[in-house]
Amino acid sequence: MILLLIYPSMIFSLFHNSVTLLVHAQYKRHDVVVLAPSWKQELLSSNPLDFWLHPSNPALPVDIRVPFPSLQSVKVFLESHHIEYSILLEDLQVDKSTSLMQMVNNQRRERGTGNFNYGAYHPLESIYAALDDLAAEYPSLVSKQEIGKSYEKRPMYILKFSTGGTNRPAIWLDAGIHSREWITQATALWTAQKIASEYGNNPSITSLLNRMDIFLLVVTNPDGYAFTHTNNRMWRKTRSKNSGSLCIGVDPNRNWDAGFGGPGASTNPCSESYHGPSANSEVEVKNVVNFIKSHGKIKAFLTLHSYSQLLLFPFGYKCTNPADYNELDTVGKAAASALASLYGTTYKVGTICSTIYQASGGSIDWSYDYGIKYSFAFELRDTGRYGFLLPASQIIPTAEETWLGLLKIMEHVRDNQS
Amino acid sequence: MQRRSAARLGPLLLLLLLPVAWGAGPEPPRAAGELQVSSRLAGQAARVALHYLNYRLGSPSALRALGQVRKATVKTIPGIGHKYYLQFTTEDYKSSQNVGTCLATVLYLKRKPRPAVNINCTYTKDQKQTREDDYSFYKKLRQQTKPITGNDIPDSYGHIEPALEPAWALAVAGSSYLMWEKSTENLGYFMAQVKNVKQWITKDDSIDFDYLVILHEIPTQEMISCHLRVIWTPGHPLKVKYFCLSENQQSESEEGSGTESGSTNGIFNEEEANF
Repeated sequence: MILLLIYPSMIFSLFHNSVTLLVHAQYKRHDVVVLAPSWKQELLSSNPLDFWLHPSNPALPVDIRVPFPSLQSVKVFLESHHIEYSILLEDLQVDKSTSLMQMVNNQRRERGTGNFNYGAYHPLESIYAALDDLAAEYPSLVSKQEIGKSYEKRPMYILKFSTGGTNRPAIWLDAGIHSREWITQATALWTAQKIASEYGNNPSITSLLNRMDIFLLVVTNPDGYAFTHTNNRMWRKTRSKNSGSLCIGVDPNRNWDAGFGGPGASTNPCSESYHGPSANSEVEVKNVVNFIKSHGKIKAFLTLHSYSQLLLFPFGYKCTNPADYNELDTVGKAAASALASLYGTTYKVGTICSTIYQASGGSIDWSYDYGIKYSFAFELRDTGRYGFLLPASQIIPTAEETWLGLLKIMEHVRDNQS
Repeated sequence: MQRRSAARLGPLLLLLLLPVAWGAGPEPPRAAGELQVSSRLAGQAARVALHYLNYRLGSPSALRALGQVRKATVKTIPGIGHKYYLQFTTEDYKSSQNVGTCLATVLYLKRKPRPAVNINCTYTKDQKQTREDDYSFYKKLRQQTKPITGNDIPDSYGHIEPALEPAWALAVAGSSYLMWEKSTENLGYFMAQVKNVKQWITKDDSIDFDYLVILHEIPTQEMISCHLRVIWTPGHPLKVKYFCLSENQQSESEEGSGTESGSTNGIFNEEEANF
C-alpha cells in the first residue's frame, strides 16, 4: 500500500455554469512518500485536466483545474491513491478568477519559508504551516503545543512564548472562536510574528517575556474556519451535530460556564447563538478550559472578535458591573487610546452588557468569574461597512493598531499581577 | 443649496434654534421623561435614522455611515412607543471621511411596522459633485448592452470588483429601505454581502437591479437572505421591493416608493461651524 502524504491543491471548474471549486489540501513537510510521478499521467489519461502548477519536485503541491463533470472520477482516483484533499471553496464565479488567482498565488508565495504573507487571508492549513515556521524560526522563544482536538478531530494548536522558568504566570490570547470573523485569526497570526520578532528589540515586550509567558491560540474554532472556506463564508458556530435536529453547530461563545443558558443565548439548535446542550459541551471550549485550569497561573484572558470596534470587559451574562470595574475601565480606555493613536480608529470601551448586548455563556465572563481579573474581548474593525468581509488590505493596519492596545493591557498585567 | 418651501419653515426654525438647545452652553435641563441612552441603543437608533436617510436620498454617491453618536436621549410616549433624540456625526460610506452632523428623532412604535424617522443633516461634501458622480455612473449603467451580473460582493476576502461598485452602492441604498423597515428598538441590521446581482435592461430611463442580499442581524447574529428589487433614476425616489427568507421566521415583503412618512430636510451645504 502506498501512502501518499502529498496533498495537492486542486481547482475544479464548472465551465458551462461558470462555477469554480477550489480544492485545497495540506502539504505536510515530513513523512512524504512519493508515488511514482506517473500518477499525474494516470490521472490525466482518464480526465481532461489542466495542471496550473508543474512542480519539478514531486514533493511539492500541485494545482489542477478540473471540469465539473470530471469531479467524481478525479475524487475517486485521489481517494484510491490515498491522496487527501478537502474542498476549500465552491460556487466561485470564473469571472472572479482574479481573486482566485490571487489566493493561489498567495499560497504559492507562502510555501517558501520566511515568505508568509501576513497581509492576506489564509486557509487553515497555511496558518498551521505558519505556526510551524514561527516555532522553527524562533526556537528559543516559541514552541507549538496541541491542547486537544476539535469536533471533527482537527488539532487545536497554541503557540507558547516563553524565555524559560517553570510555570510562569501567563497571558492567554485567542482568536477565531467565531469562524467568520476572519480578521481575528489574521490579526492573531501577525501578532504571533510580532511578539517573536519584538523580543529583544522592544523593551516593554522583552521585560514582559522575561517574567511571564504568552499563550496564543490563533484558530479556536478550526472546524468552523475550514467550513468558511469550503461552504459558507458566514459560518459562525462549531460544526458539532445536535441530537434531534438537522441543524449543526453551537455558538462557542455562549457555551462557557458563566450564566450558561441565560438571556442572550438561544435554545434553538438552528440559531446562530445556540448555547448548546450544556456548558462546555463543545470540545473546543472544553480544551481551552482544561488548559487554563491545569496551567493554574493565567493572569489575563484576552479574546479577539469582529466587528464593531469595541473593547469589552465583563459582564455579559448580567447587566451589573464587575467588582474591578474601575480598573478594567481605566485599562480599557488606555488600551483604546493607544490603539487609536496609530490610525485614528476609535473604539468604545465598556462592559459587554452595556456596550454590545446581554449575552450569557461568554468566555471572558467565565475567565473573570474563574479568577482571571484581566479579562477583555476586542471587537476588531470595522463598524459595518464590510463587517465580516474586511478587505485584506486592512489586515496589517488592524493588527498594528490592535497590537498597541494589547501591549497596553499586557504591560498593566505585567506591572500588577500578583 | 436646496431651497426650502414655506411649508418646511417650521423645521427650519427649529433647526436654527437647535444650537441653543443642543449644547451651545452647559447641559440644558432635560425634558421630563428623557433618559440617557446606552451606547448600544443609541448607535442602533442612529443607524436606523441613517438607513432612512440613505433610502430617501437615493443617491449611491452620497451614502452615509455612522460616525460617532454625540448625544442620545429617549422618551417614553405612553401608549405609543419610545422616541429617541439623537445627534451624531456621519462619514462618507466609501471614503470614511467625515461629511457632517445629523439631528434625528427615531420613534419606535408599538403598533406600526417600522420606526418613524425625522432627520436633518449638514453635508460637507460637494453636492454638485455627488450629483455628477451619480449621473456618470447612471450613464455607464444605461449604456450597458449586456446586463451586469455578479456574485459575492464583496467576496470572501473583502474585495469588490471595480466594475461592480455601482451595483453594490445601489444595493446599499436599496438595502437601507429594507433595513429601516425591519429595524426595531432591539433588532438592528447591517448589509453583510450582495450574494447575487442581476441587471434588467429597461426600455425607459431607469436602472433596474435584482439582488440577493445577506443582512447581518444584531443581536441575534442571524444572517438573513432577502431578495431586493431596486429601480433607480437619479433625482427620483428609489423604488424598492423586497422579500426576505428566514429559517426561523415567515417571509416578509414590502414595497417602497419614496412616499413613506417621515421627514428629512435633505441636505444643507453649510460649513460645519455654522451649524
